[in-house]
Amino acid sequence: MSPERGSVYRGGSGQWAFVTHRITGFLVFFFLLLHIVDVSLVSRPEVYDEVHELYGNVLLRLFEVGLLFGLVFHSLNGLRIVMLDFFPGGVRNEKRALSTVLFLTIVFTLVGGYVIMKPFIDGRIL
Amino acid sequence: MSASTTTPPPPPPAPTDGATPLQRRPRQNNEAWSWFFMRISGLVLVFLALTHFSLTHIVNDVTDTDARFVAERWDNPLWRLFDWALLVLALLHGLNGLRWIIDDYVRSSAKRAVTKSVLYSVSFALLGYGTLTIVTFSA
Repeated sequence: MSPERGSVYRGGSGQWAFVTHRITGFLVFFFLLLHIVDVSLVSRPEVYDEVHELYGNVLLRLFEVGLLFGLVFHSLNGLRIVMLDFFPGGVRNEKRALSTVLFLTIVFTLVGGYVIMKPFIDGRIL
Repeated sequence: MSASTTTPPPPPPAPTDGATPLQRRPRQNNEAWSWFFMRISGLVLVFLALTHFSLTHIVNDVTDTDARFVAERWDNPLWRLFDWALLVLALLHGLNGLRWIIDDYVRSSAKRAVTKSVLYSVSFALLGYGTLTIVTFSA
């Protein structure tokens, strides 16, 4: 960080990683709350299947790609945080680790997203 | 020997609770444990959550993971244990993360008390509800 910015940890790529980590964690947590409720319907299979079918429509598939992005970013950036906290020399590789996190997040989201959207791409669902 | 050549007495020690600054460690409290829990649960969750998502969205299409799929999976108690571990760790990890977010951004102590009460109530209610779903399910 340049000295003009002062000693306050603010505005660098690490700060954006921090913000994104919080937002993705927040959103994944709220999906988890919803997911506990929808899975609880499994004791009545007909109701479960009817509600569960919604996850197959194109809007919710897009939402699932978003969930994949959030999960992968939060996971990989979490590993980066563990590296910074537990390995004293890790901070020297912090920037490179963040680039790797971003690169892998994009790759996994694109590949997984393609598989999730495939029924739509093939025209099997609307 | 004149008084000027005697070794001066050492200065009185600074009040450091009986330890030199180097020996002093940060006081351990619940926040240290919560920090440690986030790292350990996070490492386990990378495996649990990504495996779960891959199986239910990539390996299988989401529309194939119907009630029958769940029944077949939960026939094996190890899958129930896997799902329960994911439920507990993800909820506690998320609960603690949200607690940190509330501490950072909700400035009035009254609002903080209210949002935290809601967070704890909802989280523990759903922890119980989810556990009940996994434990009591029978095909």
